[in-house]
Amino acid sequence: MRRKLANAGAHLALTLLCLVWLAPFALLVLQSFRGESGGQVAYAIPKEWTLENYRFLLRDESGFLRWYANTLTIALFCAAIQTVLVLSVAYAFSRLRFRGRRLMMNMVLVLGMFPGFLTMIVLYYLLKLLGLTQSGAVPGLILIYTASSGLGYYIAKGFFDTIPRALDESARIDGANRFQVFWRIIMPLAKPIVIYTVLMAFMAPWGDYVFASYVAFGDPQGYNVAVGLYRWVNTTDYQGYFTRFCAGGVLVALPVTALFMALQRYYVEGVTGGAVKG
Amino acid sequence: MKRFLAVLSALLMTGCAAPRENEIRVWVAENTVEFTRRQAEAFMAARPEYAGYTVVVEPVGEGDAANHILTDVESGADLYGFAQDQLARLVISDALVEVEPAQAERIRRENDPGAVEAASLGGVLYALPMTADNGYFLYYDRSVITDPTRLESILEDCLRAGKRFYMEINSGWYQPAFFFGAGAELRYGTDAQGRITTMACSYASEAGVRALRAMIELAGHPAFVNGSSASNATNMAALVGGVWDQAVVQAMLGGNYAAAPLPTVEGWQLGGFSGYKLLGVKPQTDAGKLAACDALAAWLTSGEAQLMRYQDEGIQWGPSNLEAQSATRDNAALAALRRQMAHSVVQGQYPNEYWTLAGALGDDVLAGRYDDYSDEQLMQVLVSFQAAAGSYVSVNAGR
Amino acid sequence: MGLIRTFIHGDWKTRVSYVVMGVGSMARGQWLRGLMFLGFQVVFWLYMWLFGVDYLLALRTLGTAETTRVDRVTVYGDNSFLILLYGVLTVFFIAAYLYTWYLNIRQNRVSQELLACGGRLKTAREDVHSLLDEQFHKTLLALPVLGVTLFTILPIIFMVLVAFTNYDHAHQPPGKLFTWVGGENFARMLAGGESPVSFTITSQTEEVTTLTITARNGDAFAVATGDHAGARSAAALTRGGDADFAITQQEDAWRIEVVSSGGQAGFTASGVTAVHTPSYAGTFRQVLVWTLIWAVFATFLNYFLGMLMAILINKKGVRLKKMWRTLLVTTIAVPQFVSLLYVSKLFAADGLINGLLMDWGWIAQPLPFWTDPLWARVTIILINVWIGVPYVMLIATGILINIPADLYEAARIDGASALQAYTHITLPYMLFITGPYLLTSFTGNINNFNVIFLLSQGKPLSLDMAGNAGATDLLITWLYKMTVTDGNYRLAAVIGVMVFVVCAAVNLAVYNLIPSVRREEDFQS
Repeated sequence: MRRKLANAGAHLALTLLCLVWLAPFALLVLQSFRGESGGQVAYAIPKEWTLENYRFLLRDESGFLRWYANTLTIALFCAAIQTVLVLSVAYAFSRLRFRGRRLMMNMVLVLGMFPGFLTMIVLYYLLKLLGLTQSGAVPGLILIYTASSGLGYYIAKGFFDTIPRALDESARIDGANRFQVFWRIIMPLAKPIVIYTVLMAFMAPWGDYVFASYVAFGDPQGYNVAVGLYRWVNTTDYQGYFTRFCAGGVLVALPVTALFMALQRYYVEGVTGGAVKG
Repeated sequence: MKRFLAVLSALLMTGCAAPRENEIRVWVAENTVEFTRRQAEAFMAARPEYAGYTVVVEPVGEGDAANHILTDVESGADLYGFAQDQLARLVISDALVEVEPAQAERIRRENDPGAVEAASLGGVLYALPMTADNGYFLYYDRSVITDPTRLESILEDCLRAGKRFYMEINSGWYQPAFFFGAGAELRYGTDAQGRITTMACSYASEAGVRALRAMIELAGHPAFVNGSSASNATNMAALVGGVWDQAVVQAMLGGNYAAAPLPTVEGWQLGGFSGYKLLGVKPQTDAGKLAACDALAAWLTSGEAQLMRYQDEGIQWGPSNLEAQSATRDNAALAALRRQMAHSVVQGQYPNEYWTLAGALGDDVLAGRYDDYSDEQLMQVLVSFQAAAGSYVSVNAGR
Repeated sequence: MGLIRTFIHGDWKTRVSYVVMGVGSMARGQWLRGLMFLGFQVVFWLYMWLFGVDYLLALRTLGTAETTRVDRVTVYGDNSFLILLYGVLTVFFIAAYLYTWYLNIRQNRVSQELLACGGRLKTAREDVHSLLDEQFHKTLLALPVLGVTLFTILPIIFMVLVAFTNYDHAHQPPGKLFTWVGGENFARMLAGGESPVSFTITSQTEEVTTLTITARNGDAFAVATGDHAGARSAAALTRGGDADFAITQQEDAWRIEVVSSGGQAGFTASGVTAVHTPSYAGTFRQVLVWTLIWAVFATFLNYFLGMLMAILINKKGVRLKKMWRTLLVTTIAVPQFVSLLYVSKLFAADGLINGLLMDWGWIAQPLPFWTDPLWARVTIILINVWIGVPYVMLIATGILINIPADLYEAARIDGASALQAYTHITLPYMLFITGPYLLTSFTGNINNFNVIFLLSQGKPLSLDMAGNAGATDLLITWLYKMTVTDGNYRLAAVIGVMVFVVCAAVNLAVYNLIPSVRREEDFQS
């Protein structure tokens, strides 16, 4: 009897938690279908339902599709490039021994502590030197996001650390060189961390406002979704764009959420350094 | 010094970014982009001597333009609209070129003196007045508010109807409605380079205390909400805002839509700023392009263009010679704005830090920090406010 | 020393390599290495001859040619920003050159010794192959190191240098020059204490109502001449050009004597009140304290709540474990600029939450979520729980399943309570596995720009804080305002350097204490 009560309590608590956690998204979706006004309201259920907000996003004048394409491009390239860089660094630090390794690892740790926004203006001028600002913001942002991504090797290294050394050694005895060990022996075992890295690299660019708005300044062709949508709610030029913002938010959240849900077990495996099989 | 850049960019930029020498880029607020494009086309048709240039109009609002252009003046727009309070900052960072003397002459003739004043620093005209509606007044719901001339009555009506009164008292722009209205002043003087050289401030006075007290009482009123954006207001019966809110408020209130000058508080009239939006030309390195930019700027701010901007359904901005324009008489918002102008101060130049300082005072009021303060204590607050405001006057101007 | 010895003992190939890089390698048959050395040398000197020397020379002043207007057409002068940037790039290039030169010498020495002992040098083919074997780390690290050098280290050095210049909105390239000012920015930042250092008249009203004198330490002195309460009357003041000041404190008031240097009459004012305007140093302390409080809460509160949530889901008898988990992790997947911007509006004074609470009659007045400093801080921490707990929950559910059940069984037989089992089994196990995660999330929270920027922009502000800082500002958001909004790069750079020093020290210390790092080698075997 007591156990039954406790279980009921647990289920009740979980239901409440889910309500709290999901309510904002439910509200966001509801707002995106609201037809009666584009601004803020203090009630949840729309009085008039409409698809107009979504239709607006799909029209050229909104610029949303362009921003969406920009962001998707950035995210795909980042996922590819960043994964290669992060795994390279992590593997080198984890399984190869060379002079200066400890020193480099400590340097990375220190470098990561410098507030990134301070250097934004320098990065901007470096990109400008290469012609990658404003309408060229997409390749520029890919470069910025990925160039220093090697600094985030930490979690992947933790994963490589857990793969037994004996594997490498037996392969070396069989005559494989270090590249072959990396490619034929370790990589097949590293699927969770590869997927984890890809997932993280893919998700990050969707949320970046600061760098993206700085690099693309003033040129809507170079915006990403965050910059474009942020303007709709935080400048007085866009009155009544709130429901459109909500609709845009839903469209942005959909693919990222779906991907994350599908791959979440790799996330767990990756972040715990393989200690947990999701 | 530039050689390396030239070599490198020649190497790298092939195919990357199109050359922008023959492009005139214009930044205007989102709702005037279409209008400005049409105007630019008309300009190109009427002035074949500038046929070598193409005009690109991009939506960057008057609020963002200054920040954006200062990121990188060289890559910013050639023409951009901005609110007049940014003028000194833009001039000091060398993001504006002074207006051509012949045009300056014409502008001084055709516009309100306040508009000319707003676009000038130390007697030099740096920008072209575009609209005269950068001021604020009261929007209200006729069915709720019985007497829009008294703040006390507005608040009571709101409370009775379960509605709210909106005003953004933590903004350096709306806040002077109280201080100036009560009889205090805060002005800065600048030299022609945009440096702030003098300040006149009497916030630390009985008038200032009166204003601050009124703000504190307003902030504590149950019907008050801090804010000025009509589309963010969820339950408004009255709102202090500008003409950009017009369409939203009209849609919200329908037949009960009305506008009036700001109300009185305890018998004294709320004042505040009236200001202008300006169009500026960025420093140009090519004489031909400078001439084209000058001509386009003149075209976009001409009397006809301003009137057409007013008549455009989506914009309805007031022309910068508002007094002389009979066409705007029957617009309720502009009429209210014009009547409010009699109580307002033409906004001069303010250092960037002022806006933060005023915001901080407003935030402190909203947080309830001064709720129990005596007049003496409020005076102390204003003395330090004034001292801080004075510390923005540039020291060692040469450095 | 080694270099000189190598030269003395070296053969002609080695010696010529001191001047012309790569000659030794080519002469010994390693043409690929030799060509690369030589090529690098040629490019380097070409660069130095064409541009490099100019940049280095210009670094001394950061440019002297002012921007001018000829007939309203702008002729840009020197661009201090680019001079500094290219100067730093050139120094990097020189460092790379010197290192390569050293490698070239070492190469010669090693080869020479090897040949003397009858050894054989690697062929070009073997060189390439070694990049996939014993030199594999170089292949892996080349690109990341290059990227980090150019896009992280170079900008950091640049910004550290900016801390010693007067780069701000009044000295903004390309229109204006900026230059070196030494330690002035640091002095201004660190200045504290009560006694004023030096004074300058900063303003004077036209009607002579108030005169403000600002001390270098940020204190301002208001000299009132009217009949204002709070400040006693003083003689009428007129400004007399550049003036010398004598400031003395008399009991509870300050006395200021001004002697004009322009030969005009100065003035004496007594009954002056010293007004404290907030200093940057004080504001820095306040922001730092809140940043640390925030980071502790954001990390550990989330950690424990996340663990609780995981324990709840893992509880025996709870059904549909996977569904609960999936539902609760949506906050991770939805981009923050969407969820946080939306949530911040929910908590507005006239937003949905206040609206509902008032409709239900629970409150009469809206709760001051964003206007009261304490409320704002608590609200942000709670919203961050909403954002952050699912991460921990997701990880923890996985880890908890892996704890051997017999451990708990044994504990129960020994008579341990549920709490004891938790503190002795669950917690240590969790901490061991998630140590690195905790560290990265702590430092991540110190620099958690998004949550603050999207929720509150650092507001509410207060007259007690300087430089646009607000009650919920973290150091990182404060820096953002200082640079992007105010263009005050010089002070931002100073603060950035200070943040960097504090965080780097803490991080390095903590990192090297984490068990899985200290015992890295045995962990792997």
